[in-house]
Amino acid sequence: MDFFGPVLDGFGTVLDPTNLLYCLLGVVIGMLIGVLPGLGPAATIAILLPLTYGVEPVTAIIMLAGIFYGAQYGGTITSVLLRLPGEASSVVTVFDGYVMAKQGRAGTALGIAAIGSFIGGTIAIVGLTFLAPLVASFALDFGPPEYTALALLGILLVATISGGSKIKAIIAAALGLFLATVGRDGFTGAERFTFGNLSLADGIDFVPIAMGLFGVGEILYNLEERHRAVSAPLKVANVWPRRQDLKQASGAIGRGSVLGFFLGILPGGGATISSLASYALEKKTAKDPTRFGKGAIEGVAGPETANNAAATSSFIPLLTLGIPANATMAIIFGALLIQGVTPGPQLISNDPELFWGVVNSMYIGNILLLIMSIPLIGVFVRILRIRAAILAPITALITLLGAYTIRNSMFDVMLVVMFGAVGYLMKKFGFEPGPLVLAFVLGSLLESNLRRSLLVLEGDPSGFLSRPISATLLVVFVFVAVWPMIKSAIDQRKNRLVAVQAVKEKENA
Amino acid sequence: MKNRLTRRSLLALSATGAVLALSACGGNVGGGSASAEFPSGPITLTVGQAPGGSTDLIARAAADGMADSLGVALPVVNKPGANGALATEEVAAMAPDGQNLVLLNASLITITPLAVSADEAVSLDDLDVLMGLSQDDYVMVASTKSGMENFDDIKNSGKKLSFGTTGVGTGSQLAQELILAQAGIEGTTVPFDSGSPALTAVMGDQVQVSTVQLGEAKPQIDAGTVTPIVVFSSERNEFLPDVPTAIEAGYEVPVSQYRAIAAPKGLSDDAKQKLVASIKDAVATDTYTSFNEKNMLTPNEISGEEVTAEWNELAAKYKELTDEYDISLAGK
Repeated sequence: MDFFGPVLDGFGTVLDPTNLLYCLLGVVIGMLIGVLPGLGPAATIAILLPLTYGVEPVTAIIMLAGIFYGAQYGGTITSVLLRLPGEASSVVTVFDGYVMAKQGRAGTALGIAAIGSFIGGTIAIVGLTFLAPLVASFALDFGPPEYTALALLGILLVATISGGSKIKAIIAAALGLFLATVGRDGFTGAERFTFGNLSLADGIDFVPIAMGLFGVGEILYNLEERHRAVSAPLKVANVWPRRQDLKQASGAIGRGSVLGFFLGILPGGGATISSLASYALEKKTAKDPTRFGKGAIEGVAGPETANNAAATSSFIPLLTLGIPANATMAIIFGALLIQGVTPGPQLISNDPELFWGVVNSMYIGNILLLIMSIPLIGVFVRILRIRAAILAPITALITLLGAYTIRNSMFDVMLVVMFGAVGYLMKKFGFEPGPLVLAFVLGSLLESNLRRSLLVLEGDPSGFLSRPISATLLVVFVFVAVWPMIKSAIDQRKNRLVAVQAVKEKENA
Repeated sequence: MKNRLTRRSLLALSATGAVLALSACGGNVGGGSASAEFPSGPITLTVGQAPGGSTDLIARAAADGMADSLGVALPVVNKPGANGALATEEVAAMAPDGQNLVLLNASLITITPLAVSADEAVSLDDLDVLMGLSQDDYVMVASTKSGMENFDDIKNSGKKLSFGTTGVGTGSQLAQELILAQAGIEGTTVPFDSGSPALTAVMGDQVQVSTVQLGEAKPQIDAGTVTPIVVFSSERNEFLPDVPTAIEAGYEVPVSQYRAIAAPKGLSDDAKQKLVASIKDAVATDTYTSFNEKNMLTPNEISGEEVTAEWNELAAKYKELTDEYDISLAGK
């Protein structure tokens, strides 16, 4: 009873009309800004912060949290419809989501993403309610060696998720790793590949690369296609996921929820790796992996569930340990401080009303998102009915505007144009941008943590194996890397045996 | 019907786009007409750090009060890059009409030049500093698992310890390197990307000690998840009255983060007076003073001339100290 009392009081807090209104406001704003790439939840929350000074702390945080998870869903819409992944965690959604849209199944893709997000989010909140204090220390056990192992595993998964040529995927991933090294070295302050340009000192942002390679590259490629042949009008059917689709995606949603919940707890990169791992897991466990990249519904359901579950569980380190897991959490941390609430280990005992109010508002926020998105999907998919001659410039506008808003810099806009040209050439020569973008994100995680680990371990790499979590991750890494070879060897042997047997049988006959 | 729907959704889309475009560009409107009475329109305050960080929050708190005092809008525009060098150089090159201001971090002038090449270093020569705002202190914290409670424990630990910093060319790195060198402690310095991961690493005992900004560490100190060792301000910090300063412990490490507002060099006297008066009004408001308290900032509201003199002095002092103890911030 001691435990449930405050939990139920929390629901009372949320159902207060003012709080409900702010929750709704938050998710609506979140969904809108999620559509515009560069203007992420972090910047929006920073700008809207002064609006929250006048209201109760719990009301303010309910709204800010709503912006955060609302934006996760908004990003899905552009990934599926326009091939614009606004955040690293929705890059993998593009692979199958955009193909599904092209096949006229945009409604199904968005619908399953909404359902998956809802379920993933809800499972993560239940986890947050009951397990938060238990799993919080998990985040503290993750030191530089563990992040190194995780990033290594992630990069390996990047190579396996690609649908086309393995060699081309690896080339693209290598280019991504190279781009991750651009900028001022975080350990020595030395400039790397910046050519004396201060705009490159902090490295290249994710948004110009992803927007250029995916969005602008696709627009340019389509322009050329159109000149060559009159393309058939895009089929747009607002098909709500059928029972069969739901059945097919249910496993992916379940696995994605668990993966997302646990990886989301890790500060830095958790959401991206969880969506990536979910996609790889679905592809590995599928009966027919070749469907992936060609509009497999699990390829949308899994990662979308995982990144929403991760978004929710990233509140665990903030609310229980006082550690902000990402830029958005850092700003919510600041907002709490301004409100006179100190996020930290004592929050649950000092401020149970706030803690449970925020947690429970997420249940309501998720329900609001689901209710809103279902009728809106019908509106969104109509975007595809717009003639390409009109849609393409609008997409380009959103892309360039998004790049500009990251740090109000024209330099980033030029980068989008440049990466757009690269994206066009890649598509023309059969390279996929996915491995490049994901390797880029994981590359800086890998480099800085590897160097940090070697500093902490005093240059002794055996330390990676003496720490239980990093050792386990490295074993998984080796297994994933070697398994295809073992499997093909076993298959070959089986085939040979079968062949030998067949020959024998022939002789006998 | 179909056609109309398309058009309507198009209209909605372009309207959203236009609204977002306007809100994104809000900072750039106005400016022109130098002859007119100051201020001739909205004044832009550029911040060289990402939205949400302590520098950004300080800028927004000050901008609110200044806007009320001057009677014009004062949007804050974030242009992160190169530790703030990008934004500072951009504003320094603008017309000195008082319509464009920049929020300065002292570390950019005093510490970053020790870590980057000479042609990337930023100086105060192209700027008119209007007024200082506040002081943000660094505190050295140890993990509870290490059991160390004061600086002598670190000195006599007998083990090789890892020391986390918030990055290369930061006050955190300088302060920690200086105290370690002066005490003759051999340890491994591990740079993190910012304060939060450096603090998390101490909480999990991934590194045994880190130096971070007080505002970030305070909740953890209060909760007892990390142990405060020393603060690097010249006098005890009012928010941590029981923690000794490095100077009390016998080390010469006067490192803090200071912030000030500046304009491009060559401001007219009229514009300068009005701007300084507006900053004074802003820092006197209750909202601003309680903001300082909640973020554990010590007010340091000195004149622009004093800021310039102090910062240049600190830059020379840090140079001298790093030379004396043979410390290189740019790796070894």
